[in-house]
Amino acid sequence: MSTTKSWSELQSMHRACRIVVDTLDVLAQAAQPGVTTRELDRISRDCIEKAGAKPAFLGYRGYPATLCISVNEEVVHGIPGKRKLREGDIVGLDLGCIVAGFYGDSARTVGVGKVSPEAQRLMDVTEQSLMHAIAQCHPGRRIGDIGHAVQSHAEASGFSVVRQFVGHGIGTSLHEEPQVPNYGPPGRRERLVPGMCLALEPMLNAGRPEVRTLGDGWTAVTADGSLSAHFELSVAVMPEGPWVLSAPYPFEGKAASA
Amino acid sequence: MPDRREVNGRVVESLPSALFRVELEAEGRPQVTAHLTPEANLLRLRQGDGVVVELSGGDARRGRIVRRRN
Repeated sequence: MSTTKSWSELQSMHRACRIVVDTLDVLAQAAQPGVTTRELDRISRDCIEKAGAKPAFLGYRGYPATLCISVNEEVVHGIPGKRKLREGDIVGLDLGCIVAGFYGDSARTVGVGKVSPEAQRLMDVTEQSLMHAIAQCHPGRRIGDIGHAVQSHAEASGFSVVRQFVGHGIGTSLHEEPQVPNYGPPGRRERLVPGMCLALEPMLNAGRPEVRTLGDGWTAVTADGSLSAHFELSVAVMPEGPWVLSAPYPFEGKAASA
Repeated sequence: MPDRREVNGRVVESLPSALFRVELEAEGRPQVTAHLTPEANLLRLRQGDGVVVELSGGDARRGRIVRRRN
């Protein structure tokens, strides 16, 4: 079952998450037309190592890079390479690092230059559904409530929820129990208790929900070739509600006061 | 980095039309029925074989066998 974290353990998780968020800020700026995905991977590795942390994905089940970078129809787990970003691409940046044995994991999707209104709406709705998921992180609620919140918001907006990949508990390893699906009925699955840490990560497709994995064994793409977006935050369940450990830009104040 | 919605299991019974009853190791659920994925190509899958099951989105009692596990 899932392990709960002590206050000092949460501090380590928070430090790891801060490094991830700071690095994602740099990457979001660097994602410009003409940049290769491998260059972004190098930047992320430099940032993480300069901050005194260790990349979490490098070597995880044989994953060959620091960053997962998933462009357009790529859902998640895209391996950095020679691909050049182009104006109008939407780019999923997923990053993790380790501080004092604890993992931080976070992701966001950014547009390169000017993106189409439909792509922008997909990114907006994905981020909103993550916020709905976070709002469920109160002690006593259940994992199923999180999935239900994501699915209802996503499908009401005309998008579909990826089912083959799920959020997860996080702590002393990257993927811990419980799995956190972004779909399903409310009121089911594990009960949330204070000290639980979850990586919530809705993945939404503009078309159908099916995904398939490419020959490299990692890169997941939408089966119908439609656009896909992915946002992820690490959240601790506190007695008074969610503490967003990897709070990005708009949550700055909330994280500081929590 | 998202986790794969996959769990380890073991075949307990082979049913007609390439359907299998699979016992899951974790998850706290005893058994699911699972079809083979088109990619799985698992000829002669027999009772006791270890498999990796991808659980269905809607129905927790059903899944698909993705590959054999050694």
